[in-house]
Amino acid sequence: MRTGTPSPIVLFAWLALSSARAAEVEFNRDVRPILSDHCFRCHGPDSAQRKGELRLDLRDAAIARDAIIPGQPEASLIVQRIREHDPDAVMPPSDLHKPLSDSQRTTLEKWIAAGAPYQAHWAYVTPTKPTPPRTDIAPIDAFIAARLSTAGITPSPTADPATLLRRLSLDLIGLPPTPEEIATFVADPSEAAYERAVDRLLSSPHYGERMAVPWLDVVRYADTVGYHGDQNLHAFPYRDYVVDSFNADLPFDRFATEQLAGDLLPNPTPQQLTATAFLRLNMVTREGGAQDKEYLAKYAADRVRTFGTAFLGSTVGCAECHDHKYDPFQTRDFYRLAAFYSDLVQWGVYTDYAYTPNPDLVGFSNDHPFPPEIDVESPYLKARIDKLRAAIAERAKRALAEASDEERRKLATWSEARLGFVTAYADGFASGNQTVLEPAGRAPREDGAIVFEPGDPEKTRIEITPADRHLASIRFDLLPEGESGVLRQGNDAFFRFAFALRTMKDGKPEDAPLRVRRGEATDHQPRYYNGHEIRGIVGGWSLRVKDKQRGLSACFQFERPFELPDGASLVVTIEGNRARALRVRTSPFASCDPLAFDDLTPLRERITSPTPWNDPWTAAIGLRSSSFDLDAFQELVTLDRSLRECDGGLAKVVIAQPRAPRETRVLPRGDWQNESGEVVEPGVPSFLPQIQVTDGRRATRLDLATWLFAPENPLPSRVIVNRLWKQFFGNALSAVVDDLGLQGEAPSHPELLDWLACEFRDSGFRVKSIVKRIVMSETYRRASTRRLDLADIDPGNRLLASQNPRRLDAEFVRDNALAISGLLDSTLGGPPAMPWQPPRLYEHLQFPDRDYYPDRDERQWRRGLYAHWQRTFLHPMLANFDAPSREECSAARSLANTPQQALTLLNDDTFVEAAHAFAATLLSDSRLADDRARIDEALLRARGRSGDAAEHAILERTLSEARTRFQADEKARDAFLGIGLSRRTDRALDRTELAALAVVTRVILNLHECITRN
Amino acid sequence: MHHSQLTRRSFLKRSGLSLGSAALADLLVREACADAAFPQREMRAKRVIHLCMAGGPSHLEMFDWKPKLAALDGKPFPSSFTQGQQLAQLQNTPLNAFGPRAKFLRHGESGLEISEWFPKLGSIADELCILRSMTTAQINHDPAHAFMNSGSIVKGRPSMGSWVLYGLGSESHDLPGFVVLTSTSRAGGAQPISSRQWSAGFLKSKYQGVALRSKGDAVHYVASPRGVSQELQRDSITAIDRLNQLEYTRTGDPEIETRIAQYELAFRMQTSVPELSDLSSESNETLDLYGLKTPGDGSYASNCLLARRLAERGVRFIQLYHRAWDQHDNLVNAMPIAAQDVDQATAALITDLKRRGMLEDTLLIFGGEFGRTPMGQGSGRDHHILGFSMMLAGGGIRGGTTYGATDELGYRAVENVLDVHDLHATMLHLMGIDHKRLTFRFQGRDFRLTDVAGRVIEPILA
Repeated sequence: MRTGTPSPIVLFAWLALSSARAAEVEFNRDVRPILSDHCFRCHGPDSAQRKGELRLDLRDAAIARDAIIPGQPEASLIVQRIREHDPDAVMPPSDLHKPLSDSQRTTLEKWIAAGAPYQAHWAYVTPTKPTPPRTDIAPIDAFIAARLSTAGITPSPTADPATLLRRLSLDLIGLPPTPEEIATFVADPSEAAYERAVDRLLSSPHYGERMAVPWLDVVRYADTVGYHGDQNLHAFPYRDYVVDSFNADLPFDRFATEQLAGDLLPNPTPQQLTATAFLRLNMVTREGGAQDKEYLAKYAADRVRTFGTAFLGSTVGCAECHDHKYDPFQTRDFYRLAAFYSDLVQWGVYTDYAYTPNPDLVGFSNDHPFPPEIDVESPYLKARIDKLRAAIAERAKRALAEASDEERRKLATWSEARLGFVTAYADGFASGNQTVLEPAGRAPREDGAIVFEPGDPEKTRIEITPADRHLASIRFDLLPEGESGVLRQGNDAFFRFAFALRTMKDGKPEDAPLRVRRGEATDHQPRYYNGHEIRGIVGGWSLRVKDKQRGLSACFQFERPFELPDGASLVVTIEGNRARALRVRTSPFASCDPLAFDDLTPLRERITSPTPWNDPWTAAIGLRSSSFDLDAFQELVTLDRSLRECDGGLAKVVIAQPRAPRETRVLPRGDWQNESGEVVEPGVPSFLPQIQVTDGRRATRLDLATWLFAPENPLPSRVIVNRLWKQFFGNALSAVVDDLGLQGEAPSHPELLDWLACEFRDSGFRVKSIVKRIVMSETYRRASTRRLDLADIDPGNRLLASQNPRRLDAEFVRDNALAISGLLDSTLGGPPAMPWQPPRLYEHLQFPDRDYYPDRDERQWRRGLYAHWQRTFLHPMLANFDAPSREECSAARSLANTPQQALTLLNDDTFVEAAHAFAATLLSDSRLADDRARIDEALLRARGRSGDAAEHAILERTLSEARTRFQADEKARDAFLGIGLSRRTDRALDRTELAALAVVTRVILNLHECITRN
Repeated sequence: MHHSQLTRRSFLKRSGLSLGSAALADLLVREACADAAFPQREMRAKRVIHLCMAGGPSHLEMFDWKPKLAALDGKPFPSSFTQGQQLAQLQNTPLNAFGPRAKFLRHGESGLEISEWFPKLGSIADELCILRSMTTAQINHDPAHAFMNSGSIVKGRPSMGSWVLYGLGSESHDLPGFVVLTSTSRAGGAQPISSRQWSAGFLKSKYQGVALRSKGDAVHYVASPRGVSQELQRDSITAIDRLNQLEYTRTGDPEIETRIAQYELAFRMQTSVPELSDLSSESNETLDLYGLKTPGDGSYASNCLLARRLAERGVRFIQLYHRAWDQHDNLVNAMPIAAQDVDQATAALITDLKRRGMLEDTLLIFGGEFGRTPMGQGSGRDHHILGFSMMLAGGGIRGGTTYGATDELGYRAVENVLDVHDLHATMLHLMGIDHKRLTFRFQGRDFRLTDVAGRVIEPILA
């Protein structure tokens, strides 16, 4: 049916579409694509590959060689050669497998007959703002309408309000609208109401999260380094910077400048320095045997490719080894761009091997971070600290409120028993009786300190009979020099501690090991695992004495406070002890942080007061110390650990740090070992407007950033708005978003693209304003229902008679399910989240070996963009839904439709857990009276529209069958409901009902419509 | 009744889809099909089994006997060989010759020389073709794997398995067309590998390799959630399909048709993958052939047996990684262990395929991402890229042959020098594909697996 004579209607429309084309041949639209694709490889800009000294990309050159004789196609050599019948003589050569079609030959002939006019490539000409063809409608709609009417196509109607609001919400914030928001908009879908919705979403903090995702692909943001051992990289504050910048609508030129050169700005702010992590997100290595120079060359090339794609929409990467075959980028341009980054503090290999010593990184191992980096405040962590502290107080209060009489009595008895201790030892610690078992002959001084001689061995064993037999903490103080303390050798030491409970059996001492749960110390030197600093000193205290006038302290908390049995004692073993004077003391108390000694001071008053535990913070100390309520104790200890993991609200981030520039040479054929190439200075591609440096100094990254957004630069504005367009229509105006060069695609609406680019530029690079223009357009709002009538004349819907339905990007597939089900943790920013992931995913990663620990609190339900991005083994859910590994800059995701996606939505714990939570939300909603109402609400939440009769029939049957099944098999029911973190609120619900409804919600979360924005 | 019949029939009955069974079948076939329309010429190999000896095995104790190197053992390595060449961990150290630590024996009618550490491969020498003049461009593991797989060190380029799948599609309708299996030696010497080695790069993600694991779910998410029986899963998928069908009727979005087909394929994978991994139906004789004591133990031998089963089921590209070969030190003890891991099992795989009549249309590629230096690094050898060996067997390959040679010390490939692109070109050629014509346009350029290089190694073709 597709073959044969086209129907008259189709034919008419086709003629209408191509009428402009028939009228005259236009170089950029018609001729250049042919020359570029079929001829430039050998007759283009690349001088090394040029055959017969002929180039066709320059008119004069082509004419000079008689390849083209304007007005005389028959005499022009290229026409003779493309019409050649001899397979050995025909052009393009047959072994290139790029033959011309008849119509292409005709086009070239017509063009030469018309005088062979050349045009500059559209993307390389500074755009001027075209006048929209109509003024009665919005400019975007005017440009779109013009082409539609030329083609005789009537645009689709506006989408129905519910679909439209869901589209808008998913596009702007990556989350679905709530049923309430839908109801409001459906009741009043006026222009004003729509604009209110647009403004509400644009000012939502989730807007930044949604906009960040494509940019994070472009800058290849990840949480690991990518090469070899793929260790962790400290980058998340950069990701948060991106989210914040979109939310604040930071002008795009500033956004780009801060990323390219934040370190070169006067007095850079922490945010501006954080932005420069952009320059540190390239993959880096510390593989043994890797060569510094080779990897520096790889890093430089990566930065040039990323810069080219991100800002120039150009495939500059080709020029690493040869002049570009299609675009006027020369090899020299590539290395001139690379030279901008030669001032970065960096190393080819981020470690120190005997065979490749690195004096800058002495002592580095596979576990060290990747310098340079700085500490920055993380608003997420700051807020989390407040939240956790409140939770600690809350938990303590609850424990006291819920305590039984029996428990109260126990607590009172325990408090009274401490009275004597707090009276005697105001700071909460006491030495008790101590015997030094090793080295022999030492004994504590009057002040409790044990004094060691210079020649003493570094192993020490002390037996302690504590002043209070209730034990929660143990503290070590290295006395200052003034008290004849600090180290007996050097300024560094590495103390390791072990603890045991000693009892006497048959007259012989027997030691049982005692575990500690926390240990903290002052003056400790960082130790690392997989790029992160190891928190605390349970694994050892590496210390450096910087000020001999100050003492040093360490304190451990026992795994659980305990009562030392009669006749038993505590044995402490210390390895690596270099102290001159060491005091060891124990305490019956444990505070939130072992080093928060001050927290213990008020205890004295509290314990002696009639209502000792009224202050929740002190109550929490009491709970940690007494263990009278073990549930509360466990929860507090978990909260303490979470609080510790907030690192005081500070986070590390890799940054750019300038240094004296290294020499940059052109590397012939990209060979890093070849040092014969020309030395080059920083500079931009020669065919574009040039950077103007007046005083002859070397151009910097800051100059590069300024140049990018100079009004005459033709590329960046077009590149950015073209990518934005794709975000809202599925297709960009020039479809190949990462190549606006000669091999890319001439825009479907060149005037519209230029209009948007100029508007963006002239209005100060405000992304929100362009986004608003796009989503306010009628074109954006059209129904996405497939237009079968246009299947032949505009199969790709490039004229945009209708919207394009689009599957959500990976992160939003996740966010959408979590939001629908009510599980979503909508907190902004913060360290990488660890969602459920199949076990042993990292088993093939070494240096170091590692495991994966999923989050066990609300962080489990964080948005997809916060998921830990492991470059070598990306989370399979993200990978299955086409998220890139971000090893390389990527400006467009190619969306596939695979069985792995079905398996993920069906079986990934996250989606099963979401189905449970979704069902629980519905069952807990008293407004929903029956199955039918719940199913209707479920469909509404998941798709923005409730169900029709056929849909209800299917789902109600599914529900009743599931109910029967789980009634008969409670084991299966409980196993099903056991997936994920169990939530307190679910416990009140009928388990069979919950499981059965979860079968239905699981079906709904799997629907194509649910993961698609229509 | 066979399960898949049950499910297909019940699916069609229960779903009441307007999509007829013929249309559905057509849809499934279409999805399994390739985007590029190959082959264009005779297909000697229908499938590839790539046995990747990850870590870079020493050719000097495997396939390339160098008596002169033995004579020079412990003496300074002539600097005329090494001047100006790239070294890895031997940078800044004195270079001494490290003689072969294994004896070599001649095998079969062809008299192929293979080291004593690989006796079983020796016993089938007449099936093997040894390439002794391989070279590669990358001297560190990570980029060398990338180069061996994708012909490029730029990330985001498709792996060879993805290219093949893109060109030919798969013959399997219920298993992925490109499957990856991994194993780790007890010999140590394991270096990390990365999923980018089986990435589809800029090709559609349906062409990416799917890692099949020996423990837990063989494929991520292939098991139904706990408490969800096969019947419940079937019914749930049926409900999803029927609702999707209603949506398709409403909007006409063709992606929905594909989605329905993918849910059906997903359900079949949930059965076919466990069936594939279940080795209980294999005879004791077969297990003995592979030297397999605990089938399914994740060993290289177990993976070789799985490779045969995958090949039988129409999987197009099967890749095994055995992480064992990074012998910077202790080569004399560690490499024989690694050799034991693979020698019998590789020979068994070839033998097993042959007796099932499948060797003639299965191409086996055996080798590492690079070789090792003839200079010693303490008690081992460093990475080496200027000359090393690989081995081919099966579909379209002339057995009992060697091709190319390194110099007298095994340092540099000097005769019929080969690079990775030549290997790729030859592989594609055997699959009926002209490597210059298998292209994909990305960022405005027609990319190939072989970049702008690659020559088919004609003399080794049967």
